[in-house]
Amino acid sequence: MSSLKRRLSLGLTFTLSLLLLLQWALISLVIERVTETQLLERLESETEGLLASIEVGPDNTFELNALRLSSLYQRPFSGHYFVVCTELYCKQSRSLWDESLPIDRLNSGQTRQSTVAGPHDERLFTLSRGFYKQDHTITILVAQNISALDDDIFQFQMLYSLACAIGLVLILMVQWLIVGKALQPLSRIQQQLSRLRRGETQKIDAEGPEEIQPMIEELNRLLNATARKTQRSRVALGNLAHALKTRLTLLNQTAEHSALKQFPDIQASLNRVSHDMGQSIERELKRARLLGSPLPGQKVDLEQEIAELSRTLQLLYRDKSPIIDWDIAPDVWFAGDREDLLEMLGNLLDNACKWCRKRVYIKVFEQQKHCCFVVEDDGKGCAEDKLSHLTQRGFRADESVPGSGLGLAIVYDIVDSYSGEMLFGQSTMGGLKVEVKLPQTL
Amino acid sequence: MRLLLVEDDPQMGLVLQNALHEAGYAVDLAVDGIDAEALGDIEPYDLIVLDLGLPKRSGMEVLQNWRSRDNHVPVVILTARGSWEEKVQGFKAGADDYVAKPFQTEELLARISAVLKRSAGISGGPLQVAGLQLDEDRQVVTLESGEVITLTGTEFRLLRYFMLHPGLVISKSRLTEHVYDYDSDRDSNVIEVYVNRLRQKVGNDLIQTRRGQGYIFGSA
Repeated sequence: MSSLKRRLSLGLTFTLSLLLLLQWALISLVIERVTETQLLERLESETEGLLASIEVGPDNTFELNALRLSSLYQRPFSGHYFVVCTELYCKQSRSLWDESLPIDRLNSGQTRQSTVAGPHDERLFTLSRGFYKQDHTITILVAQNISALDDDIFQFQMLYSLACAIGLVLILMVQWLIVGKALQPLSRIQQQLSRLRRGETQKIDAEGPEEIQPMIEELNRLLNATARKTQRSRVALGNLAHALKTRLTLLNQTAEHSALKQFPDIQASLNRVSHDMGQSIERELKRARLLGSPLPGQKVDLEQEIAELSRTLQLLYRDKSPIIDWDIAPDVWFAGDREDLLEMLGNLLDNACKWCRKRVYIKVFEQQKHCCFVVEDDGKGCAEDKLSHLTQRGFRADESVPGSGLGLAIVYDIVDSYSGEMLFGQSTMGGLKVEVKLPQTL
Repeated sequence: MRLLLVEDDPQMGLVLQNALHEAGYAVDLAVDGIDAEALGDIEPYDLIVLDLGLPKRSGMEVLQNWRSRDNHVPVVILTARGSWEEKVQGFKAGADDYVAKPFQTEELLARISAVLKRSAGISGGPLQVAGLQLDEDRQVVTLESGEVITLTGTEFRLLRYFMLHPGLVISKSRLTEHVYDYDSDRDSNVIEVYVNRLRQKVGNDLIQTRRGQGYIFGSA
């Protein structure tokens, strides 16, 4: 699954970079254009000034009126040069000194611009134009050194690129922060969800953004509804059990009535029926109220539950006073309902206490994403060939012999509803060893 | 022995009350949690049989309230749910034993008798004190000589109370309170008559009179 944050960041980075690049190119282009236009305008006016200062003599020679010439053309290698040619003669500015510039004679009205190498490795931008004055075709070439200008432009571009790069980095960082901030509620919700799964909380408390808040509310509503429904059906089942079993007890009492004492057969059959009914009710009601998948609810404190169960069993088996030891791995957690757990462990421990001589041992640990419970006792145990029978009895749930194996059959139902696994074996302590593995993710 | 039976089902309550009565207990019946709690606090019961599914106030709550007020009367809880969660909760709340419905009367009687013996500090098995052995099922007593004597209902109740509290001075009013139920006509003079008849059956030395104080059983 792709991360929302990564996708947003990538998209924003790409568009922002593209935008900045385009802007950089545009600005560079505009700057180049503007300088070139300005240069051209200046050179044109220089050209016109030169044209005005030309005075053609009668012998086809010509003079330049020095007064009208800028001093820039007098200083050698000033970076400003000109060359003026008629059909026969050429004159160039004093600033060119002993160098010369290539010049093509142009017809009147022709214009040409170019960049050429000048003296002292100067880069010259030249504008040549052809004129017609006093019956002579005159070509004027004006040149200006643009090395400094080019350097300036280059420097500006470098600086501008640097500014753009820094800006880009800053903007990216800011947008990264914004994306992170905007998605923060999601990560809080994520944390809450995993706490929910571990059963540490009953609803999602985190406030989400507007787009997600309805989903959270709906989820909370569903959780609440499920919890209430479960609670209701448990109460209903409890009431049903109470009513039915009270009536059955009454039936037992009736069977014991003194008037029936002379018919022991009838008494026995009444007792048997009520006993069977009691067993069926017990089994089916317990199965019906199993949750199977855990409702997010209170986290089960394994240590506390096992300690309390052990105390209860010690009270129930007061005459035997079994010693119940437990060993619970510190980080193990049970993904399920507390009542289911109590029912399962209660029956397992009850069974162990029933058959043990003195000691019962329970171990809880985590193995391959499973919560494992091992219950052992030091009793006589179960013959090897009957071990499989124990599981089978669980399988043939409804045919289980009344009065025997109901406890383990209920445990089997619980394990089954959690899609877990239940194994019987021989304990090193001598008795039966029951191993239950329940998956931690359901 | 005087018991309080708390059971909301009217039919069941009456049937159980009769059965307990036949077993030689004086039995008061309460049908809801609030009545039960008050009775349990006021009357000096020897044991309370408490159904957990009660109207007005749940049995578990009633039990917790008793224990929080240092009322340590032995309690046997009756429950229909039979879940381990309830068992754990019941014992945590201070119950002494637990009987799951549906049960047979014998089972309940056996549990009651065991809890009574335990709370009197006597080990399980048949009640044996000062050479006497009381058979609670048949309501007969076996003397040291091996002679078996049948007891009337009141005699049985008296002897059982004596045997569960050997060596203690028991006043006539205390005997009355624990042998008769709430609705009976309590005349402490009648107790004297019953004690005398009991003496004739089990031997004069076993029950001594302490003038102005009451009776003492067993210790010579």
